[in-house]
Amino acid sequence: MIIIINYEMGNIYSIRNALTYLGGKSSYSDDKDTILSASHIILPGVGSYRKAMGILHDKNLVAVLNEAVYEKHIPLLGICLGMQLLGLSSTEHGFTKGLGFINCAVDRFVDNPLAQTKIPHVGFNNVECNKKNPILLSGLNSSSDFYFTHSYRMEYQDDVCSGYCINGEKFTACAEHGKVFGTQFHPEKSQVNGLKLLINFLNVK
Amino acid sequence: MLKKRLIFTLLYSAGNFMLSRNFKLQKVGNAEWLKNCYNFRNIAFSIDELILLDVTRNNRDIQLFSQALRSIVDTCFIPIAAGGGIKDEKDAELLMKSGADKLVLNTALMKNISLTKTLIRKYGSQCIIASVDYKEERQASEVFINNGTESIRHNLAEYLQYLEEQEVGEIYLNSMDRDGTGQGYPVNYLKTIVDKINIPVILAGGAGKYQHFIEALNNLKIDAVATANLFNFIGNGFPEARDKMLNNGIQLAKWDKHAGKNLEGYFLKPPNSYNQT
Repeated sequence: MIIIINYEMGNIYSIRNALTYLGGKSSYSDDKDTILSASHIILPGVGSYRKAMGILHDKNLVAVLNEAVYEKHIPLLGICLGMQLLGLSSTEHGFTKGLGFINCAVDRFVDNPLAQTKIPHVGFNNVECNKKNPILLSGLNSSSDFYFTHSYRMEYQDDVCSGYCINGEKFTACAEHGKVFGTQFHPEKSQVNGLKLLINFLNVK
Repeated sequence: MLKKRLIFTLLYSAGNFMLSRNFKLQKVGNAEWLKNCYNFRNIAFSIDELILLDVTRNNRDIQLFSQALRSIVDTCFIPIAAGGGIKDEKDAELLMKSGADKLVLNTALMKNISLTKTLIRKYGSQCIIASVDYKEERQASEVFINNGTESIRHNLAEYLQYLEEQEVGEIYLNSMDRDGTGQGYPVNYLKTIVDKINIPVILAGGAGKYQHFIEALNNLKIDAVATANLFNFIGNGFPEARDKMLNNGIQLAKWDKHAGKNLEGYFLKPPNSYNQT
């Protein structure tokens, strides 16, 4: 069973639709035992980083996710804000510590008028594969389009960035570290490219 | 680089999908028809975004509309915008919970600016599309609200500037004169007006063939083209229009349009029965 973390932050409806379309069985949960017995975990998220971390702490989900990652080794995919939460910290609404599974900080796009930075960065943009044997982007073109909508981004770091995107600056669009994965874009809103990426994630054992 | 967009607009009225010509509506079919006869899925894999508008003239029922939205989103893996008759925060929340990623406002932009502001604060500017219905008249009464029935005392350029100041995320610019005619977008009429707008513009009203999409994207400072005509791009119309646009150098997102249908039930099939590449 694929478990989508239920913490009242985000458009989980469309993620579930995409999983159902692919024939994957999923459900929402904030229950420790259910989450720890999942085949795969998805951490969605739209909204404020600070508020999201607050709810994860309040629901004791930070400890549960740590156990899922470090002891149970359950594949975990963070989407959009969910990906940012996997990082070290964010400066959105003040400095907030993240889950720290991925060794990258999150910050607002640097507004560079010369480079035509778009803030918010909304729409389909191309993600360039940054690894020889990527997992999430496996079987996709080395430059593939995905749908983004965000104003904060995870910094670029070569070792965890499996796909980068450029919006005035290079940032991590797709992260992989062990069985922890993140996409700044929305695979569930990215047509066939996104469906293929979800299949790649669900094929991680 | 952010890509340009090809958008399909579905017009909904009291349980049915409609054809509109100069804002006169004609019933075409219900959700069942859309799925089974119209082959909406084929279209859904060839567009970048879907806009669903409730254009019901009398007694709009947002509960029913949200059900239609739900029935459509389950096979659409693209951003979806919905609107038409959003009266309060609850209506907006219902549509967001039914699968909408963006909200389309029209009459509320003029009559209920506090709702517009509340929704922008709650969901962010990028979530709010301002729908603008206009006639090509170059006078103070060329913009209409309330399903095109009520003119406001602003010309188009002034009104668009006002909307940008309200910090809406995008503008959906719909020509009432061209609506449903298939004669093409009023490219020359809009040139100086659209040039001054600094937020994304979606052009609607008038597209009849793929050349109209290309003409508008090549000549106007816009981000997207939309059509609400159920029949001008029927069958392979959308997949082919998309290919022609790409072949003509329009920067659209790329994906394997034909693979989408094969991915349905991927995990229900025996292992290795599907070769992903």
